[in-house]
Order: sequence, then structure tokens, then C-alpha cells
Amino acid sequence: MKRKLWLLAATAVAALTLGAVPAAAQKVTLNVVTAGDQNMVDYVKDYLAPMFEKDNPNVTVKAVGTGPGDAGSQKIAEKLTAQKSNNAWDVDVAVVHQKMAGDMVKEGLLASYVREVSTGALSTAASAKNALGANVDGFVIPMFQSQTAIAYNPALVKDPPKTFAELEAWAKANPKKFGHNGIKGGMSGISFVVGWIYANGGGDADRLMKGPYDPALQNTWDAAFARLKEFNKNVTITPGNAGTLDMLNRGEIVMGPVWVDMFYTWMADGKLPPTMKLNLIGPGMPGQPMYYVIPAKAANMAAAKKFVELATSPKVQADGIVKKFNWYPGIDAQHVKAQLDDATWNKLFVDVTPQDLAAKGKTFPIKQYFDDILQGYEKKVAN
Amino acid sequence: MGAGPAIGHRHLGLFLVAPALATVLILFVYPLCYSLVTAFVAKEGGFTFGNFLRAFEFYSVDIAFTLVIIGISTVLIGLCSVAIGGYLTLGENPRAVAILKWLYRWPLFIPFIVAAQCMRTFLAKNGLMNNTFVSLGLVDPINTISLLDWRGIIITFVWKQLPFVALLVAGAMASLDRSTIESARNLGAGRLRILVEIVVPQVQQTLMVGLILSFVTMMSVLSVPIMVSGGSPTMITVDMAFRINSYGDYGTANALGFISYALTGFAAWIYLKRGVSQGGKP
Repeated sequence: MKRKLWLLAATAVAALTLGAVPAAAQKVTLNVVTAGDQNMVDYVKDYLAPMFEKDNPNVTVKAVGTGPGDAGSQKIAEKLTAQKSNNAWDVDVAVVHQKMAGDMVKEGLLASYVREVSTGALSTAASAKNALGANVDGFVIPMFQSQTAIAYNPALVKDPPKTFAELEAWAKANPKKFGHNGIKGGMSGISFVVGWIYANGGGDADRLMKGPYDPALQNTWDAAFARLKEFNKNVTITPGNAGTLDMLNRGEIVMGPVWVDMFYTWMADGKLPPTMKLNLIGPGMPGQPMYYVIPAKAANMAAAKKFVELATSPKVQADGIVKKFNWYPGIDAQHVKAQLDDATWNKLFVDVTPQDLAAKGKTFPIKQYFDDILQGYEKKVAN
Repeated sequence: MGAGPAIGHRHLGLFLVAPALATVLILFVYPLCYSLVTAFVAKEGGFTFGNFLRAFEFYSVDIAFTLVIIGISTVLIGLCSVAIGGYLTLGENPRAVAILKWLYRWPLFIPFIVAAQCMRTFLAKNGLMNNTFVSLGLVDPINTISLLDWRGIIITFVWKQLPFVALLVAGAMASLDRSTIESARNLGAGRLRILVEIVVPQVQQTLMVGLILSFVTMMSVLSVPIMVSGGSPTMITVDMAFRINSYGDYGTANALGFISYALTGFAAWIYLKRGVSQGGKP
């Protein structure tokens, strides 16, 4: 009886060890966690994952979304912080916003992987090295660049305003016909408010984007906020990024700030009339990249690097980022342009030309100023 | 030997209640205390009232706005649930009663977020409701207004919470002693008068419980204000989420949470006080 039991135990142990070891070597689940709207999850799940799994049959990609805006990135950072003392973290690749990337580097949550992947040298933009004032060189590769602009209905707006000052006058003449979503319903509204401060803040907008930080500077924005409060009385406040597009589509507003990629995607899906147009007003509006990052102790580091390599390869950037999702490429344009026909490439630049982008495509301010602007809006415009 | 089984039973009792107790302690009491305490902790550590100062400095309008919205909603829910319950009890057309009975519970089964999403397309300026009015010739397309602001929040709250209170109230009304109603009717009282003077006073207790539970539920809803209104002023749940998501500032968010506990605590206090005055029956 005793011997039988012993045998049983031995078999069990043998089965466990034999079973467990090859399983670990063979099957890998790569957790790819993305902040942002549902389209980010769709992009990983429906586009990148099948491609990667085909090349790496032992890997299963699991795509997880943490929600739109900085909130999504915040959740990823919190998850990593919570497992900081563990040996292996369960996030292998993450896609995060600019604002959080700097903090994550500072707190040692990210791996310096860029020089170890073959596509690392393809992205030389300033935003690949500097995220809102924080040095992220070596830790991030941009997944895409996106830009906000003012969408309008050319049937109802013959001569769209070209600057924030003209827009202010236009909104006064056409009450409630301009709509934005404030700062609590998504980044397109935030971008509008930041653009407003760049235009009307009285100071040097470049300083807000490049630093150095001076806490006294926010006191110079009072007049701009007062004007914005006045302006807001003549506009419609919409519920969110999608809310602005919805209202444009239903004709309730005829103008409003939107993300360029969302605008084109909605149009392609038939959720916006194809006649709608975009207009990047002066002195400029911000845009932002999202970054591929690899956590410092990612459980599957090797596979994670391979995944990012695929995702930032010129072919995928051309086919997935530009053609399918209407984003501007994350890696340098010349590598991507070669992969596409002119028609597809030019579609990206119909309304917002490369010259517009160069002159009026701004970045968001460095983190401290950014927070000051948001808090100032809450205190002086919203409350 | 005699004490053995008794102790055994007591231990068994503790053992059986332990999982439930642990769940409550870990998932409810601990986070509650933690958030109450951190409302008074500065970002650098140490005791502070700074979070509350900031909460009032930034969100005083929103706090007042939250109270007004939820106050109005609660009153409307009370009135409508009495109306529905009253018709179910006193209505004379059996077919209408049956239809109402069948219809009024539907929103109970629809989550807040789904309700909010429906309202977004229903209440918009060129939404379903206004389009219907326009096609019926009731209003001009130019004159339609969007209800996607504080009014939209109230409409969604009332629509969603009304069935819950109406269900309680109608149940209480149905179990009333019909003889009081019949005798009032014999003496010539109209239906409205019977409802206000005979029926409502007798179901007051249930109505109050339903309203307080609704009040507390509405205080905690994030999806409806965020989806329906988006604009400012907004409700404090939105501010709490924003504080955490945009600034990682748990202190101020918890201070706002503390304020909303205080408000709901006040409602709960009324609830308990009434329970005690009724001889401990909650």
C-alpha cells in the first residue's frame, strides 16, 4: 500500500516536471497592453497579433486595453509599480502616452531596449527622445504621431477661421456652432485648450514646450483663461472626442477640434460626411505620439523585442499605421513613404499639408506646464 | 464535556462567517478607511487639509451642482413613483393598469452606461426625440434644443431609478388594507385625494427607503455625467476620475470622495433615524 502511494507520488512529480518544463519553453503568452481608444486594441488584436503569431508559432499575443487618454497610461504605470518587487512582470509590451512615459522612465519601470532592436534607428524625431520635457532616449519608439485640427463643414462654413483670434470672433458671430469637449472628455478638447494658451497666453509658447519650468509663468495666463471663459459661453461643450464628431455628423455644430486619425477613420466608416474638411489653425495646435515601451522586467523580453521590431518595421508602419488607421507614421517618414503608393500617402495630407504640420503642428507642453494649464482651466474657466 | 459542543458550534459559526467577513473587511472596510485617511495626507506625506482646500477651490460649483442634480432627481423620482404606484393601486381601467405594470419595470434591467448611451442619441439636438417632434410638426428644426447637459443627467437618472422606487412603492401600496381606501371612496373622496391623504402617508416609510437608496446610488454614478453632459459644471464623480487620471492626485480625489461620503452619510443617517423612531425597524 505504502509502496503504491510512493509510486503514485513519484509519477505525479515526474509528470509535473516533465510537463511544466517543455510547456514553458514552447508556449509563450505575450501580453501587449495598450492605453488609448478601442481602435488601439483592435490594431494589436486584429492586425499585429495574427502577423506576429504566424512568424512565431510558439507565441500567443494577448491584447489588453486600459482605456482612453492619460487615464489608460496611468493604469499601466500603476500596474507596473504594484509588481515592482516581483522578478517578472506580466506586461511584455505597452503602448503609453507621452505624459506618462517620462514618469515611467524616471521610476525605472522601463527597459532601455531601443538600441537592441533593429528598427531602433529608424525613428529620429525629437519626440522619440524627449517626452514633454523628460528624457526618454533609448526607452521608447513612437508607434505613430497624431495631430489635432479643427474639423468643419464646408457647406456651412465658407471661409473657416485661420487662427485662434479669428475663431474667437467667428464663435461670437455664430453662437453655439463651434463645439469642443473641455478637458475632462478626451484629448481633443485638451489640445484645443493648450492651443488657446499657446495663442493667447501672452508668453513664449516655445518655453512651454521646451522648458525650463517656472511656476510663476502660470500667473500670466489669467487674461487668456478669462477670454476662454467668455468664449465658452458662445460654444457648445460636447461629451468627448467621439461626442464632437457625433455632433458634427448630426449637424448640431459645424466646427470643432478633432484628432486627424479619428476624423479620417470615421469618414472611412461612413460616420462622417465625406465633404467634411480639416483646418490646422495658427499659431498651432498640439499633437502627440504614442510610444511602444517594454517594462524593465518583462517576463518575455526576447519576444517583446521581436514584437516591437515587427510593429515598427517600415512595412507595418506603412500598411497598418498609415493605410489602415490613418495615423502619421511613428518612424521617420522616408522609410515609410517608400512602401506606399503616392495616392495613399497623399490622402494623409489632403487638408493638413506637410508645410502646415511643420509650421503649426506643436507638441504638448512639458508636464509641469501641462498640469498648470489643466488646473488653471479647472479653476478659472470651469469653476 | 458539556461545554465542548457549544464551543465547537461557536467556532464553527466563526469559521462559516469568516469568508464573508474577510471579504467585507478586505474589499470594503479597508479601502474605505484607506481612502478616508489618505484624504488628509499630503502628497509628500504628513497631515494636511490641503486636499479639501483644493477640492473646494476647484470644484465648489461641481459639489453644489451634484447636490442640485441629485436632489431634483430624487424629488422627481418620488413624485413619479407615487403617481405610478397610485395608478396601479387606484386605477380603474384594468387594461391600462396591466400595460403600465408591464412597462414600468423595464429600465430596471438596463445598466446605467447603456441608458446613458441611449440618451446620447435620444436627447441630442438632432436626436431621435427632436426628430420625432419635428416630423410630427410640433417644433421647427431651428428651435430644437439639445438636452445633453444637466437636464439630460436628471432625465437619465429619473428614467433609470424610477422603476426601482416605483416597484417598492407599488408593492407597499398593494399590501395596504383596502378598507381604508374603500371607506374614503364611500365618503366621496376623489382618487387624487385618496392617494395624497390616505395611501401616501401609509407607504411613506417605504417611499423614503427607496428614495434614500436611489440617492446613494446616483451619487456613485460616473458613466452618466461623463457620457451625457461632458461639459462643466459636472458631477464630482467625474472630477474624482479626472483628478486620478490626469494628475495621479489621489489626495484630492479622496477628499472629494470624503465629501460624497459625508453627503450619502447624511442620507443614511436620516434613514437610520427614521428606522429607530419606528422601533428599530429599518
